[in-house]
Amino acid sequence: MLRASSLTTNTNVDLQAVKGDKNAAAVGVEYGLELMQFAEAVANRDNVQLSKMRQTLLAKAGEKVLVDAAGVAANFQRMVRIADSMGIPVDDMEQELGQAVRAELDLTRFASAANTLEI
Amino acid sequence: MPKESHYCQRYSFRQMTMAFFNYSNAPFSIREDIKKEFSGFWRRLAQPGSWWSGADRVAIAKASRSALLCDFCTDRKLALSPYALTGKHTSDNSLKETAVDAVHRIVTDQTRITQAWVDSLPENGLSIEAYVELAGIVVCMFSIDEFHRALGLDLEDLPEPIGGNPSHYRPAQAEFGTGFVPMLPKEGLTGPEESLWPGGRSANVLRALSLVPDALKDWLALSSAQYLAVEEMGNMVRHEDRSINRLQMELIAARVSAINECFY
Repeated sequence: MLRASSLTTNTNVDLQAVKGDKNAAAVGVEYGLELMQFAEAVANRDNVQLSKMRQTLLAKAGEKVLVDAAGVAANFQRMVRIADSMGIPVDDMEQELGQAVRAELDLTRFASAANTLEI
Repeated sequence: MPKESHYCQRYSFRQMTMAFFNYSNAPFSIREDIKKEFSGFWRRLAQPGSWWSGADRVAIAKASRSALLCDFCTDRKLALSPYALTGKHTSDNSLKETAVDAVHRIVTDQTRITQAWVDSLPENGLSIEAYVELAGIVVCMFSIDEFHRALGLDLEDLPEPIGGNPSHYRPAQAEFGTGFVPMLPKEGLTGPEESLWPGGRSANVLRALSLVPDALKDWLALSSAQYLAVEEMGNMVRHEDRSINRLQMELIAARVSAINECFY
């Protein structure tokens, strides 16, 4: 979806941000670094880092951005658990955009790839 | 979504008048749609579901919180094989051990859930239908609690369960063939499920919990406030009611998914 949005908006983004690359996060996404680090802190369940990143994002981007970012991060804490607890495969492995993103991010290293690749 | 009046018939007086998620002491202003959808889930959580009573559903919600404090889960997360380790979960409620194990696994070690483990649940006293409803409760609870934790807010008190029996409703068209559990097909839904897919289109993530249609409806409602409604996901630029654009949303989504090692 990040790639799809970047193509739609004709914005250059660096997908290495998905893997935590700080320089990449700042490319093409407003407050990209702060949002990436906030998302990381939520997903890693690191309360010290989360408190720090919350304050950083609040100071840089404001309260509304912080609240909406918290919503999205929490939402995907749910979505990954729906996918993995039910073992759903990727819908269309043949789609070129998806193939390119999976290759660039080396997603087959994840254990849950087996839910798709073993079909 | 089921009509509000349908639920109101089953609410206790206290629950009807109790304000959940009012955020009166929150340091940040929380959007009204978030309050509405969180409150709606809380009310549904307290009621009998398809396969669990209201008391069981609230107990599952409580167990989703204790999973994060469970020593056995910490050890299991570090183990090379999560299925080789035996032990007892930290639990302070009446759920059977199989159910507690399922709740904790979904919260703390979801990437290593396997078909074989799901297949073993019925012989250990947990039907596949009950597992799907349990998972639906856990994931919704977790996303609400994570929102609070992300903002440094206290967790909401759990609702009081409402009496009554589960409906044991199982959609007739659910079938094996995708994932670990039976799911509704992408096309050709009929009867009560005829309009289940938002906008008439489906994907495996929508089908995942469809063995218990209300579980799908619950997460769709939460997602419409925390992220975007499915019908609005075609807008790759910006949603007018959000302060972050789609690129920003998807960066957050992708980073959270990557840390959780989610291939989907």
